[in-house]
Amino acid sequence: MRGATKTWLRRSSRRPLWQSALLYAIVIFWCFIVLFPFYWLATTSVKRPIDVSRGPNYVPYVDFQPIPDHWEEMFGSQRKSTERHFRNSLVSAIGSTILSVIIGAMAGYGLSRFRYYWGRLGWDNDNIAFWIISQRFLPPAIFIVPFLLLYNFFGMVDTYAGLIIAYTMFNIPFAVWIMRDFFNGLPVDLEESARVDGATRWQAFIRIVLPLSAPGLVAVAIFSFIFAWNEYLFALMLTNFKAITMPVLIAGQNNTRGIEWWFISALTLMAVVPVIIMGLLLERFITRGLTAGAVKG
Amino acid sequence: MSMNLPPDPTGGLRGVNEDRLMKRVFLSPAVIVLLALSIFPLIWSLGISFTDMQRGGSTVARQAEAEGITEGVGFLGLGFELTGRNYQRLLGDGRLHSTVRNTMIYVFFGVMIQYLIGLGLATVLNQPFRGRNLVRVIFLMPMMMTPVAAAYTGRMFFDSNPLRSPLAHFLREVSKALGSERGITVPWFTDTGWAPVAILIIDAWQWIPFMTLILLAGMQAIPDDIYEAARVDGANALQIFARITVPILLPISMTVILIRGLEIFKIIDVVVVTTGGGPGSATESLTLYIFEQALSNGNYGYASAIAYILLVLVIIFATIFLAVGRRWIRGSASGAD
Repeated sequence: MRGATKTWLRRSSRRPLWQSALLYAIVIFWCFIVLFPFYWLATTSVKRPIDVSRGPNYVPYVDFQPIPDHWEEMFGSQRKSTERHFRNSLVSAIGSTILSVIIGAMAGYGLSRFRYYWGRLGWDNDNIAFWIISQRFLPPAIFIVPFLLLYNFFGMVDTYAGLIIAYTMFNIPFAVWIMRDFFNGLPVDLEESARVDGATRWQAFIRIVLPLSAPGLVAVAIFSFIFAWNEYLFALMLTNFKAITMPVLIAGQNNTRGIEWWFISALTLMAVVPVIIMGLLLERFITRGLTAGAVKG
Repeated sequence: MSMNLPPDPTGGLRGVNEDRLMKRVFLSPAVIVLLALSIFPLIWSLGISFTDMQRGGSTVARQAEAEGITEGVGFLGLGFELTGRNYQRLLGDGRLHSTVRNTMIYVFFGVMIQYLIGLGLATVLNQPFRGRNLVRVIFLMPMMMTPVAAAYTGRMFFDSNPLRSPLAHFLREVSKALGSERGITVPWFTDTGWAPVAILIIDAWQWIPFMTLILLAGMQAIPDDIYEAARVDGANALQIFARITVPILLPISMTVILIRGLEIFKIIDVVVVTTGGGPGSATESLTLYIFEQALSNGNYGYASAIAYILLVLVIIFATIFLAVGRRWIRGSASGAD
């Protein structure tokens, strides 16, 4: 700790003042670019319609009088709709996250600890892993027609199960990729000694490996959750009433009610803030997962 | 197949049989899901692209229905007439050409803007300063936002009415201060030239932080002695950046550019929410066009054919990129010494 502080002092004292000023200027400017839209959403959600169209009004209590009406509407007269869509998003995101984590961890572990050889294709572990991750990058547009037909045939349109299955499919490649990377960095000694003591593969995996790989599992869970929570195309395509998720609800505001910016802003914050809070709390896992995927990849 | 297996280093004698079973147990769920939901639809939609399938059946199926034949017709695409017409139709489809062009513009300029600004910001964040961790956290926020929400927010900002949009207000005031009489207003979403720019900016706002964080992680992995040695040799900051940082970051750069490029090929939500593809089809992306052909028009066969065009474009992009990238990386590795 102390060493780190020292390096920091040494380095920054070597920097001329103008460089520090420029550095902070750029950092503050970009933070402003990032944060101001969120501020604007927050203030718009408490503006009267007239304050939105006769503005722009920046500072509450100075430029305009904030009102809670739109939030009250969202949790009052629109409560059922808000709750339903929020629940839909939550269920499909959590469901697909659980499945992706389980399936991804298993496959990642397999690819990290066993040797596979798919004779007919001549593929070894690396080829298989590459094939799996490549599925992540297929354009989803190619699945539109087959999924429509399949989902209609199996009666899965507008169901939680339908969304969960689709999102699991999209999340598995990334989950496998991250978990394989994670297990590769985990020493085999512990599992081996557990197995010498009589544990089966599966027991060693569940009792030894999984607890040790919590950070990787959390990273996979966050990415899967955020993807499913934010997904639009398939949610739009595969739902029509019961299972509509937040992004589809938000995108549809345009058509159903005209552009009521104040209400859209409240709704948007409703969809975005929980995810952002979760992300900020688990920030270190996200950074770790991002770099596992790309830096080593 | 199992006879060819190389010996498993982690399996003892006792574990051999168990392992032979377990290795399948571990990998199979993922492989089965991908085969069923990715590979099968992929092949199937290639088949569909050679049929005249439409929502509610093809012309053949409808005819058969009218004649009272229901057996074996119209089931999941079986019994449809095979035809190459969809692919012929592609050639003369002006809307397809403009959506291909738009998508390429999004990919090319999107990746370029995001990479360059991301690299710049990563360089800045790589300097030690107070509050760096906070900044890193702030940078994660746009990435986690639903693209639909980001697009609506963008729509508020790119509204060209300065009474509503803080951006338009800002542009008008600044241009007035600089001497323009009425102030400049940019017709963001109504002008065919500006509309794609607005969409590019919204996508960039969301994803520049992604580039930044990954490039920053790459920069932080570069050991300090390399920089020390260069400084001892009398290299200035710019030389160090151009000769050391950038070449070392090349592999990571290739990865993030590839990832973002492939992601932008999929763009639809931002376009739907901001312009709906307009004005005209100036901002329509390929994915949006495919979606409309499939869902609004019910042209399943034609939509699949276009989707295959998109797939081919993606594969060409990735292949060229990887080929060129490998050469670059090799070149810079030998050139850096």
